[in-house]
Amino acid sequence: MERTLFFSGNEAIAHGAVRAGAAFACGYPGTPSTEILETAAHLEGIHAQWCVNEKVALETAVGASLAGRRTLVTMKHVGLNVAADPFMTLSLTGVNGGLVIVSADDPGMHSSQNEQDSRNYAKFAKIPLLEPSDSQEAYDFVAEAFALSEEFDTPVLLRSTTRISHGRGRVIRRVPVVLEPRDYARDISKYVMVPQYARLRNRLVLERLQRLRARAEESPLNVLEAGTADVGIIASGVAYTYAREAFPKAWFLKLGMSHPLPYRKVARLFQQVSRVAVVEELDPFIEEQIRALGLPVIGKEAIPADGELDQDIVFRALEPFLSRRPPRRRRPVFPPAPHLADPPPPAAGLPVRPPVLCPGCTHRAVFTALRRHKLAPMGDIGCYSLGALPPLLALDSCLCMGASIGMMAGFNKALGRKAAAAVIGDSTFFHSGVTPLIDAYYNEADGLVVVLDNRTTAMTGHQGHPGTGLRPDRSQGPVVDIQRLCEGIGVRCATVDANDYGALDAALKAELDAPGLGVIIALAPCVLMVREKAGEIVVDEERCNLCGLCLDIGCPALAPTADSVAVTDVCTGCGLCIEVCRRGVLSYAGAP
Amino acid sequence: MNGTTTVSLVGVGGQGILLAAAILAQTASAEGLDVKASEVKGMSQRGGSVLSTVRFGANVWSPVARHADVVIAMELLEGHRGLGLLAPQGALVCAITTRIVPGSVLRREDEYPDDLPAVAAARGVRLIAVDAEALARAAGTLRAVNVALLGAASTVLPFAAASWQRGLAAALPGKILEVNERAFALGRSAVSNEEVGP
Repeated sequence: MERTLFFSGNEAIAHGAVRAGAAFACGYPGTPSTEILETAAHLEGIHAQWCVNEKVALETAVGASLAGRRTLVTMKHVGLNVAADPFMTLSLTGVNGGLVIVSADDPGMHSSQNEQDSRNYAKFAKIPLLEPSDSQEAYDFVAEAFALSEEFDTPVLLRSTTRISHGRGRVIRRVPVVLEPRDYARDISKYVMVPQYARLRNRLVLERLQRLRARAEESPLNVLEAGTADVGIIASGVAYTYAREAFPKAWFLKLGMSHPLPYRKVARLFQQVSRVAVVEELDPFIEEQIRALGLPVIGKEAIPADGELDQDIVFRALEPFLSRRPPRRRRPVFPPAPHLADPPPPAAGLPVRPPVLCPGCTHRAVFTALRRHKLAPMGDIGCYSLGALPPLLALDSCLCMGASIGMMAGFNKALGRKAAAAVIGDSTFFHSGVTPLIDAYYNEADGLVVVLDNRTTAMTGHQGHPGTGLRPDRSQGPVVDIQRLCEGIGVRCATVDANDYGALDAALKAELDAPGLGVIIALAPCVLMVREKAGEIVVDEERCNLCGLCLDIGCPALAPTADSVAVTDVCTGCGLCIEVCRRGVLSYAGAP
Repeated sequence: MNGTTTVSLVGVGGQGILLAAAILAQTASAEGLDVKASEVKGMSQRGGSVLSTVRFGANVWSPVARHADVVIAMELLEGHRGLGLLAPQGALVCAITTRIVPGSVLRREDEYPDDLPAVAAARGVRLIAVDAEALARAAGTLRAVNVALLGAASTVLPFAAASWQRGLAAALPGKILEVNERAFALGRSAVSNEEVGP
């Protein structure tokens, strides 16, 4: 007979993830979450790596998910604060391979600086929340979380607590999940969260929440358990086990999927009994939602709102309330589905005026060179996010500040080749690009990082940053050198003049052919800070065959004419159009 | 609404819309009115459409309004778009000769609209079409298109000439005040000379 498996919750989560077909796991250590990844690191079929922090871990996980892998990312509750930036927008983009985020909370602060209740993050991000109450559920719920993630195209938060993560229990292994391979498919309007696409995704998130609530009503994770006493208890996580032991005769609504809350299942419990209590550690997360239905419930006026619970605390806290006269029965009022804002009226057939890269912007040169290679360029936040729009279509993702490098690392690591690159602006690099670069080096990720160094924070109006040393009053402070910073980490790095297209193209090609990780700094001051024109560009209409290559770079200074192309007066003379034309139609005036 | 007048200024990033809005706000304030203004400018430097709203009256509550009593458009296509912002009986003041052609038109996916007087007439909108570029050039700088248009708009706004004078002086740096005063006067007289009542 097989030996009884006696897993901690953390071990169960790791084994459950592998059983569910997860191929990638990452995280940052933090009590009580740490052993999940340590366990996964010794299991077959899953790659496990520590990341430099929780934000980079989640971004790396998103990269692996995009690559089609079921991915687990682990952290403690306060780590989710660090990962909150990608976390919130990930709700909008959704996933490719299932993505499950484990946050292990620490009620009672055995080993933490606060005891925040991570469940609020699920509500904040409008994503599903699963709360196992023992090791077997920890093992089983991971598979359910991955399935939900893929079915509803959403990240899923799996919330553990100290007593789940560090408690032990018997675990019965289940049959491994058989997965269909998921290929990566470029989908700019899904993964590039510039305003016009994010607005559309946000409406899908609100609709998804309604569908998830319907699922929570049906889910076998949310069980109405009959009792013999005229008392009902709603509980989730380890608090369920305490309440179950303290009140063996009560009815129970056990919530394994506690967000979105299954309103009708809650109402059904209220039909069975005249008194209902919510037993939960920390915040009145479930309680407040039930009160909002207009249902009278015993909650935090009895159950401590701080620290850990146990069966004695629960019994002593609830007992006096349960002997009181039951409240008058009331009918629940279910909140209607939210009304969504009217979409903007159609523009009466008028041409729209989306923001575009400026004429002469050197980001255009980088995108033009990059898109000649079969790569998924992970984007970041800045003017260059606009490179995702037509006609350039040069970026595959834009999640949050500093996400590009971690996403590239996760994507390439998951596929085992240099399939993605990262582009990141100089200011964004300092904001949160340094830590993922350190991480990519440490984790031996393959990839090309292009720092679009235009010597300013251009998008917001040319503010200073550590690479320029400029302060808000335009006085000069100390300067950090990006190349020396990269080399200090140990990463191969070269700087190239972004106005020299030939050199730029060659540098990118060389770096892509080289093994491992490298950084190219494409350096040229923002064209809005350069006043003088680089040269006059003229058109030889005779040579033009209307191939359209010059128009594909999306320069606002080029306009097609009936038999050629015209250079308009907003041209800065950058010469990129000359580089891409194969017939010598465009040239500098006076050039031989 | 509630005795509050709304003016929306529309155009393309870089056309001086925010400055024109500041002059308008200062002028209304010089009249002793309450003023609120709101602008969306995150993408303004990247060739996107820009909208700034100025509201004035005895007591202004909301900083935004769905419909404007007057729309000042610094560019023809944005003037077309601005029609959708106008309240019934509103007036559109438009730089009729200023065209900033968007990429989709350059790529011939869209057509640049060319029939503003007809569309405005069909909607019953009072159109004040101004060759603001010519006026600004005559004043001494093409950059004063925004202020020439304000001069034209001043003919439909309830402010005294002295208040406009104070508004211009309050919002503009001294070294460019004079050229803008000329542009404003040219815009104002261009309309007064042409228009024959509403």
